[in-house]
Amino acid sequence: MTATPQAEVHTPLPRPSSRLERFARRQGWVVGVAVLLAALVGWRASQIPAFGAFELRGIIAGTMTLALLAMAQTVIVVSGGIDLSVGAMMVLTNCIAARLMLDRGLGTVALVAVAVVVVAMVLSGLIGTVIVVSGVPDIVVTLAASFTLAGLALIVLDGPGGGTNLRFQELLVGDFDQPLPALAWLAGVFLAVWVPFKRSRLGIATYAVGSDRAAAFLSGLNVARSRVIAYVLGGFFSGMAGLVTTAFTGSGEPRASIGATATLTSVAAVVLGGVSLLGGSGTLLGPVLAAFCLALIAPLMLGLGWDPNYAEVARGVIIIVVVMVGGLLQIPRRLR
Amino acid sequence: MSQPILQTTAVAKAFGPVVALRAVDLSVAPGEVHALLGANGAGKSTLVKILTGVLRNDGGTVAVNGEPVALRGPTDARAKGLAPVYQDPALIRDLTVTQNLRLTGVDPAAVRKELAAMDLDGLDLDEQVRDLPLPFLRMLDLARALVFDPQLLVLDEITAALPPDLSDRVFAIMGRWKARNRSVLFISHRLAEVREHCDMCTVLRDGRDVASFHPGQEGGEAQIVAAMLGEASAGVRDQARERAAAASSEDGQARLVVRDLLIDRQDAGVSFEVRAGEVLGMAALEGQGQDRLFEILSGNVHAAGGEILVDGRPLRARHPYDAIRRGVVLVPSNRLMALLPQRPIRENIAAPLFNRVRRWGPINTGRERRQVNEAVERLSIDTRAAAQARRLSGGNQQKLTIGRWLAAGFRTLLLFDPTRGIDVGTKHQIYDLVRELADGGAAVLLFTSELREIGLVCDRAAVLHNGAIVAELPPTASESDLLTAAHGLEVTAV
Repeated sequence: MTATPQAEVHTPLPRPSSRLERFARRQGWVVGVAVLLAALVGWRASQIPAFGAFELRGIIAGTMTLALLAMAQTVIVVSGGIDLSVGAMMVLTNCIAARLMLDRGLGTVALVAVAVVVVAMVLSGLIGTVIVVSGVPDIVVTLAASFTLAGLALIVLDGPGGGTNLRFQELLVGDFDQPLPALAWLAGVFLAVWVPFKRSRLGIATYAVGSDRAAAFLSGLNVARSRVIAYVLGGFFSGMAGLVTTAFTGSGEPRASIGATATLTSVAAVVLGGVSLLGGSGTLLGPVLAAFCLALIAPLMLGLGWDPNYAEVARGVIIIVVVMVGGLLQIPRRLR
Repeated sequence: MSQPILQTTAVAKAFGPVVALRAVDLSVAPGEVHALLGANGAGKSTLVKILTGVLRNDGGTVAVNGEPVALRGPTDARAKGLAPVYQDPALIRDLTVTQNLRLTGVDPAAVRKELAAMDLDGLDLDEQVRDLPLPFLRMLDLARALVFDPQLLVLDEITAALPPDLSDRVFAIMGRWKARNRSVLFISHRLAEVREHCDMCTVLRDGRDVASFHPGQEGGEAQIVAAMLGEASAGVRDQARERAAAASSEDGQARLVVRDLLIDRQDAGVSFEVRAGEVLGMAALEGQGQDRLFEILSGNVHAAGGEILVDGRPLRARHPYDAIRRGVVLVPSNRLMALLPQRPIRENIAAPLFNRVRRWGPINTGRERRQVNEAVERLSIDTRAAAQARRLSGGNQQKLTIGRWLAAGFRTLLLFDPTRGIDVGTKHQIYDLVRELADGGAAVLLFTSELREIGLVCDRAAVLHNGAIVAELPPTASESDLLTAAHGLEVTAV
C-alpha cells in the first residue's frame, strides 16, 4: 500500500466560473422579473395616450405599501420563517398613525411616525421571540398574531377615520404628479437599510440560519437571535408600510380583510421574486419588482377593457406560469 | 509521559432511554495522531460531538491540558483549542465560501494561505458552497479548522469521500501537526490508513472504550477487529454451518439477478444474484452505496447503468409500483418512511393490498380484514396500540412493515437493516420470520450493519465496498473476515 506511488492520481480543481456565469446563476431571476416589469410598464404606457408623471406616481405610490410588505416577508422567509401577520401589522400601524396624527403639525407627525415604526419592530420582535422560545411553527404563531393585531387595530380605531398632515403626505408619497418622493423613499430604505444589513455579519447570519440551521449552529452562530432579528427587521418594513398607507389614503382603515389580502399578496411577491420559501436564498430586489408586476395586472386588464374580476384570475395564472418556467430553467443546475 | 492534551474520564451520554456512551476514557498525548475506532453505533460520533461542544455530556469530565473544561458550544470548543472537521462539512450551501468564513470570524486570507500549503490555491472562494464538489468542501473545512491553530484537530471520517491524492494531503497535515507537538484525533473506517498514520488507537464498543494500543504493531489489524467485535457467539456459527450444508444441496432458481449495476457513474458496478428460497446477506461499511442500491432495486431511483433481471426478465422500474408488481418489495430501515404513522395497523397492512384488491368502487372489507388478521397473527404484532402505527414500539413497527407485504404478496424481499434499534427478543422473531419466508420460497436480500446477522439468518454473504461486490463468503465466515472484506482488504483464509 505504501509502496504504490499515487502521483498519477490528480483530482482536478473545479473549473472556476466566470463573472457572467455567476451573475446569471445568482441574479438571473431578478433580471428576468425586471424584464417582465419593463414589458408590463411599456404595455401600460402604450395603453394610455399621455403616459406621464401622473400615471407613474399612481403606480409607484400605490404599490409602495405592497413593495414594503414584500420586503418584510422576504427578510423573514430568507431567515427560514414565514410571517402571516405582516398585513395585520400594516393595518394596526396605519390605525395608530391615523389616530395620533389627526390635526397635528408636521413635527408631531414625524415623531409619531418614528414611534409607530418602533412599535411595529417591537411587536414583530415579540412575535419572533415567541416562535423561537416556544418552538411552535412560524406559520401558527404569526397566523394567531394576525388575529390579535387585527383586533388591536379595531380597538385603536373602531371605524374608518383619523387623519394626517398634508405636508407629511406629500413628503412620503408625493403630490399627484410627483413620482419622485415615493421612489426616493423606496430606494432610500433599500440602500440605507437593506444593503448595509445584507453585507453585515447579521445579514449573512440571516441567510445562514435560513439555509441550514444545524450548520449555522456548528459555525458558532446564535441561531435564535438571528431569527428574532429577522422578525424585527420585518417589523420595520411592515411599520413603514403602515405609514405609507396613512400618507396615501390620508386616513386609517381598520378592516381586517385588507391586512389578510395584503399578507397573501406579499407571499405571492416573494415567490414571484425568486425567494425560496424554504429559506436561505433570494434577494430583496426581486420581490419588490414582483410586487410592481402584480400591481400592474389589474390596470392592464382594465385598459384592455376586460372585466377587472379576471385580473385576479390572471394574477394567479401568471404566478404559477412564471414560477414553473423559472423552475424548469433551473433544473440543469440541480442535476449537476 | 507529559500531560495529555485531551483527557476524558468516564464520559457518558444518553438520549432518552438510548444510551450512546456509557463511560469513555480517552487520552491523547501531545504530538500524537490518535485514531478513534468502533463499529457503527459504537458511539464515535457522539463522543466527537461532546468534544467539540455540540452536545453536553451527562457524566464524566473532559480535560484540556489537564484542566477540566465545560464546552458551551462550537465556538467555545474552538477557543479552548479543539477544532473539528465533521463528516458533513459545516458550510452553508446558500452562501459563498468567503461569507461562510466571515460568519465564523475567520480571515479569508488565512484560509487561502492554508489552501496554498495544500496546493489548492486555485479554489475560488467567491463560489457558492452549493456549486463546489464535496471533497473540496472537506478540504475547505479542514483549512478553516487549521486557521484556528488548534491544539487538537478532530477529523471525523474526513477521508471517507476523498480521492487518494487529497487524502495524502490530509495525512501530510497530520504529520505537520505532529511535528509541531500538537495532536490529531482521527476517525476512519479505513484500517490501512489508521495503521500507517496513527500512533495510538482507542476502540469503542457499546459506548465504552475497550482497548488502546499502537495500531501499527504486528497483528494490529486483527487486534482492532477483535476489539471492535467483542466475543463472537459460537452458537451462531454452528447454526450457520448446518444451513450452509443444507443450502448447497437444494439450488433454487435465480430470482433476482443484478448485472454490472452502476450505483454511481464512476463505480465499477454491482453484480450478484439471489435465488428463490435463500437469504443473501449483504455487509458493508457506511457509505459504500448500499442505500442507493436498495433504492434502485425497489424502483425508487434510476441506476446509472447495468441490468436487473427478475425471474429472468429485465426489470426497468420507473416507479416503485413497477417493482412491486413484479413482486420485488422493500422494507426500508426508516420504518416511518414505509408506514402511515397516524393510521391504524389495519390500514397500514391493507395499503399495499389495495393495489390488488380493486381499482374502482368500494373495497371488499371482509376479504381485507381476513388478510390483515392473518398477517397480524403470523407476525404476532402486539395490537394494543392498534389505532395509530406511530404508537407501536420500534419492533412492532418493523414487523408491520414486513407484514404489509405478507398480506399483499411478494416474491423477492429487500430488507434494509431491518433490526436497527430493535430489542433482542423481537430481533429473533424477525430472524425466524425471514428464515420462514425464505424456506417458503421467497428470495431475500438482507443488508445488515450487524455482522452477526449474516451468520444468524443468511445462506450466503456478499460484501459491498465502494459500489462493487468485493467478496462472496459463506455464512460460516467469521465476523472478522467479513469486516476485513468490508474494509476492501483481501480475506486470507476462509
